[in-house]
Amino acid sequence: MMIIDMHMHPIYYKSICPDEEELLFRQNAFGTFKQAPYDYDETFIELDYAKVDKAALLPLDLTTTEGGWVVNNDQIAKVVSEHPDRFIGFASVDPRREDALEVLDYAFGTLGLSGLKLNPAKQHFYPGEEFMEPIYKKCIEYNKPIIFHAGLSWEPNCITEYAHPLKFEPVAVRHPELRMCLAHFAWPFVREMVMLMIKYPNVYTDTSVLYMDSPEESIKRLFTIDMGPLWTDRALHSQIMFGSNGPRFRQFKLLRALEKIEMRDYAREGIYYKNALRFLGKEEA
Amino acid sequence: MVDLQKIEWCSRKPEQFHNITEEVHRLVENSPVKNGLVLVVTAHTTTGIMVNEGLPCVETDIADTLARVVPLEADYAHAHFLPSYGATGNNSTGHIKSLLCGNHCVFPVVEGKIVCGGAQDIYIVEFDGPQLRKVYVEIFGE
Repeated sequence: MMIIDMHMHPIYYKSICPDEEELLFRQNAFGTFKQAPYDYDETFIELDYAKVDKAALLPLDLTTTEGGWVVNNDQIAKVVSEHPDRFIGFASVDPRREDALEVLDYAFGTLGLSGLKLNPAKQHFYPGEEFMEPIYKKCIEYNKPIIFHAGLSWEPNCITEYAHPLKFEPVAVRHPELRMCLAHFAWPFVREMVMLMIKYPNVYTDTSVLYMDSPEESIKRLFTIDMGPLWTDRALHSQIMFGSNGPRFRQFKLLRALEKIEMRDYAREGIYYKNALRFLGKEEA
Repeated sequence: MVDLQKIEWCSRKPEQFHNITEEVHRLVENSPVKNGLVLVVTAHTTTGIMVNEGLPCVETDIADTLARVVPLEADYAHAHFLPSYGATGNNSTGHIKSLLCGNHCVFPVVEGKIVCGGAQDIYIVEFDGPQLRKVYVEIFGE
């Protein structure tokens, strides 16, 4: 079965680590430490062991809040151009920058990136604010989905209230044609996340939930306690995508834990790849 | 005199035995140090340095025994988000197996060769792969 990881941060990919200063900015802004840049070979060994076919790479534009990017759109496009068979490139934009729409036109129109990543907690905006409307309309114009960080964010200087799932409901109401993923099951607000998925079929989430406990304990709790054990089979099978949040969490450990969760084949296929293809706008899904 | 060398290896699985006997012997034979000791030490806390017979069945028995002693699923205190890393550890089995395996081995060096038994192969053992690993080989003497 194909597996697509819809949530990876390529901050340590050696080919896009130009210097120590930029790496230090990324580490401090993203809040990961004690790791060093690595070659593609090491990345592919890990992807291959986990049997992950493709991974979505997420940047973040922090121009107005912190004066830089945690990987920029050109760097994402470079990685994708070097290995288009393994990577799906997302764009980012700081929604408060004056040229935000030009950044998106370049990212979608010229670079050909596959979607948009935003982190309201880190970029300090409420998703339902009026000034966000042109951003959403631009994504709809290009038929590009948005991955929002949602729920707890470990990154420094994040305000969780901005990323509470209830703050996304106005966007889901206004734009039923906009596919949006609230990442990390909006943990710990799992019930609110489920509520949104029941109401809005254009709202997706991902499985990158490992803030407490072992992978087995965390995923079991998510799929059988925080949610009823049949909720995925019965109602949510088309809106959950596999995501690892690497390098914070390791793919193969989350997949090992997911394999131990009982669910019907159609639900597992959806989580592992079909929902990702549909989210990305691929017709075959 | 001290001669410090390094072996790098990228493991391909979470747990993997990698035989480095020939590389260590070659480093000793090419060293300017002809008589003394060779120290083989891992740079990590979730790998081990093991001296044992280089047979797949021996590797299997050791791996199975370690898995029984250190099960994957247990109430490890280390299974949580680590602020100092910005990542989740969840590699307690690696730390404990590394402790049981040990982090180094030592052999005498006489006239440019390692003095050892014929069954004494040297391994780096991965307990939290896959990832890039480093082993330091220090030959010291005269």
